[in-house]
Amino acid sequence: MKKSHIIAIIIIAVAIGAILSTVADSSTYASFAMAEQNSGKEYHVVGKLEKDSALVYNPQENANLFTFYLKDTEGTVKKVLYHGTKPQDFERSEQVVLVGKMKTDGFQANTILMKCPSKYNDGKPAEMKEYKAES
Amino acid sequence: MDITYVGEHLWAGNTGNFFIVLSFCGALLSALCYFIFSQNEVDNASWKSLGRIGFYIHASGVLGIIGTLFYMLLNHFFEYHYVWQHSNTEMPMRYILSCFWEGQEGSFLLWTFWHVVLGFILIFTSKNWEGPVMSVVALVQIFLASMLLGIYVLDYKIGSNPFLLLRDVPDFANLPFLQNENYLAKLDGRGLNPLLQNYWMTIHPPTLFLGFASTLIPFAYAIAGLWKKDFNGWMKPALPWTFFGVMILGTGILMGGAWAYEALSFGGFWAWDPVENASLVPWLTFVGAAHVMVIHKNKGQSLLITFILTIITFILILYSTFLTRSGILGDSSVHAFTDLGMSGQLLVYLLTFLLLGIVLIAINWKHFPKPETEESVWSREFWMFVGAMVLSVSAFQIIFTTSIPVINKIFGSNIAPPTDPIQHYNSFQVWVAVIVALLIGLGQYFKFKKTEMNVFLKNISISFFGSIIITGLLTVILDLLSVQQIPYIVLLFSSVFAITANTSYFISVLKGKVKLSGASVAHVGFGMILLGALISMSKSEVISRNTSGVDLEKLGEDFPNAENIMLVKNDTLSMGGWFVTYNGKKKEGVNIFYEIDYFSKDANGKYSKDFTLYPRIQVNPRMGNVAEPATKHYLGKDIYTHITYAELDEEKEKNPEEYKKARTVTLAPGDTVFGSNSIIIFEGLDKNVDKTKYNLAEKDIAVAAQMRVVDVKNNSFTARPVYSIQSVYAVPFADEIAELGLKFIISKLIPESGKVELEVYEKNSNLKEFIILKAIVFPGINILWAGCLIMVIGTVLAIRHRLKQF
Repeated sequence: MKKSHIIAIIIIAVAIGAILSTVADSSTYASFAMAEQNSGKEYHVVGKLEKDSALVYNPQENANLFTFYLKDTEGTVKKVLYHGTKPQDFERSEQVVLVGKMKTDGFQANTILMKCPSKYNDGKPAEMKEYKAES
Repeated sequence: MDITYVGEHLWAGNTGNFFIVLSFCGALLSALCYFIFSQNEVDNASWKSLGRIGFYIHASGVLGIIGTLFYMLLNHFFEYHYVWQHSNTEMPMRYILSCFWEGQEGSFLLWTFWHVVLGFILIFTSKNWEGPVMSVVALVQIFLASMLLGIYVLDYKIGSNPFLLLRDVPDFANLPFLQNENYLAKLDGRGLNPLLQNYWMTIHPPTLFLGFASTLIPFAYAIAGLWKKDFNGWMKPALPWTFFGVMILGTGILMGGAWAYEALSFGGFWAWDPVENASLVPWLTFVGAAHVMVIHKNKGQSLLITFILTIITFILILYSTFLTRSGILGDSSVHAFTDLGMSGQLLVYLLTFLLLGIVLIAINWKHFPKPETEESVWSREFWMFVGAMVLSVSAFQIIFTTSIPVINKIFGSNIAPPTDPIQHYNSFQVWVAVIVALLIGLGQYFKFKKTEMNVFLKNISISFFGSIIITGLLTVILDLLSVQQIPYIVLLFSSVFAITANTSYFISVLKGKVKLSGASVAHVGFGMILLGALISMSKSEVISRNTSGVDLEKLGEDFPNAENIMLVKNDTLSMGGWFVTYNGKKKEGVNIFYEIDYFSKDANGKYSKDFTLYPRIQVNPRMGNVAEPATKHYLGKDIYTHITYAELDEEKEKNPEEYKKARTVTLAPGDTVFGSNSIIIFEGLDKNVDKTKYNLAEKDIAVAAQMRVVDVKNNSFTARPVYSIQSVYAVPFADEIAELGLKFIISKLIPESGKVELEVYEKNSNLKEFIILKAIVFPGINILWAGCLIMVIGTVLAIRHRLKQF
């Protein structure tokens, strides 16, 4: 066998490995219901902030806990706990993507991605902002 | 109805549109004439001159568009959508360049502009290659020029025109203010996004786009080589351009990283963000292409791979443009552009050139000269080839994961990106970096033909054992000694080895001959980048830990230890060996600066101020409030400080004497609650109320809550809020403690348990201003920046060396 063939085989093997590792590491866009069924697993949950429910952030008590309620695409509302500071302008967010897993006391978010409508952006969703909790 | 608008400068738009058409037609003419010239074997200089003339027309069109757009920005012609969208009258003029390329049309123009500049250089330097190479360049320019046309062909919009009038934009057409013929008198632009008002926005895009543009030239040469069936000759002129592109594109990418680190709140210089990845991937294949070109030049091997890598690099630049501009990354990236409706066009553009490359390679493949002998495992080329392949695999892994949204689009799947992207990429790329660094270290010592084993071992052993000792020392110093850290220790060794081996090669083999040292110097730089990245990423330490004594980590893995700390104005907290004080804030324009002092304590217990940082928050109507970190740079480490939360409640500052919204507490006798400046104790209910004081009738019922309040200096105060029932109405009477800014109102009595529901009010001035901040120490990050500089120097040396061989 020629050396170039050996190299080619190794490269193809590693490339397949890369694809598999991506598939293994990749997450799923899910609803709260699905996250609840597999409570140990991390999911991406897309939803809207429930603006009428309480957004609690008391930095004097705990600067690293922010809780709010999110309605997912299926309409389920759940409490979300985020171990970080409250993102600036969170109330204005239009769409929120959470990355995290379901726990008994609510959905534990590691990352919050939010889309804010901007005043001048003709109502189109504007730039995404990402917030990452410490984990 | 026709409105005659007042004060519009319609001539400017007409001029701009004329130049757009001119640049498009010029590119068409140029491509066509150069094509005919290159196809005909007989010498026909007139087609060549026509091709040049076409390119000059195209160039003057492009310069005309740029000039017109600048003129419009400088003179605030807000009747034009692009000017309105990206500038305003308040903005400092030094950001005019940033306004120019903030939008997609402007950044396409910037890209086109660099192609024009490089095209001019090619016309005068490419000699015999001019015809075919410039045909490709002009073809690319046709596509780019079409991105600005903004015309409709059968309902499909081609390009987005920067000279569109505000009132012609569909979203604006029916807005009431446009019914006023004099609407311009009151109109100001939306302005440049404050987040982009910094010098990075002035230097990063032109560098990055020059890097993008420079991938076109090796691509054009490769296509020309395939087309004219000169499979080897194209590489000699293409090689210096490839080195040049590697250098500029690399600089552009690292500038983006530096920007993210210095001015954006990414908390590091590399976040594996899709937009960052999209420009890193073509750089990796470009580096691969440069190395296989060198192999081919020396040994005439790896021809196919050279073509593939050179062509794929340009295709990946187009793909990266597609990813960032089609809006497809919308859900997964922090800074993707929104869709301008050009994704279809970008895709056509991408597929055209991909197809062109594939077809040309397929046609010519069987004519490629096949080397008779196999490459020896002990030759330098063999290992350079392996290195190029490793880089390609690395590029593949990154682009595959980054393309998840594209995969979803094509297959209708619903895959989300990895939940921890940094971990996902690092676990793979650390090993890539290890192999690459080892190859960089070893590679130079292999001879280009055949290596003498004992000479090789002798040369390499000093660096090898030296690196083991250095790695051992560093492992101990950096406290990396644990099983989880094994990949990092291996990477530490290999990057140290890359540095020492190349340094020793420069000294002992090259004997310090600078002009031959390009590769060694660039490789030392690359090793330093890896080392700096490794140390600063793996040993970065969040020092703004919770110092209040509660260790949240003990509560379990789901309660990560807090990384944000609250700092009350004028209070001092200990943080990572420093003592920090927040002194207050000041507002300057859109920015609010927070003054934070870092003190250290010497052996005698005396405090001295080390430095002051001013992290800021931008009050940004377009993106919400944005925090910008501030960083103190030392030679060995950086201290990065970032405001993660601050109350921007101006009401509070204006009216310190007003009471803030109350909180309601339910208390049993003897219960205490904490006020911001005191402890509040509910001692019990007292029915003995002086009814005349409250104008109550004898038959009314009244109860007082006996409150005792102790302040921080242990002074005691009392308050007696009263709750009365006058016939059937409940009427509470408030009581205040003026000295402490406290007010109590009973909102409900619970007679069965003797409990009381109490509203506690505090004055705004009671609540001290505070900020929440995050501070991270990045050690060794200067190794990374120094590495960048050294790599650039090395590449310049390599280009000079290659140009001399011309």
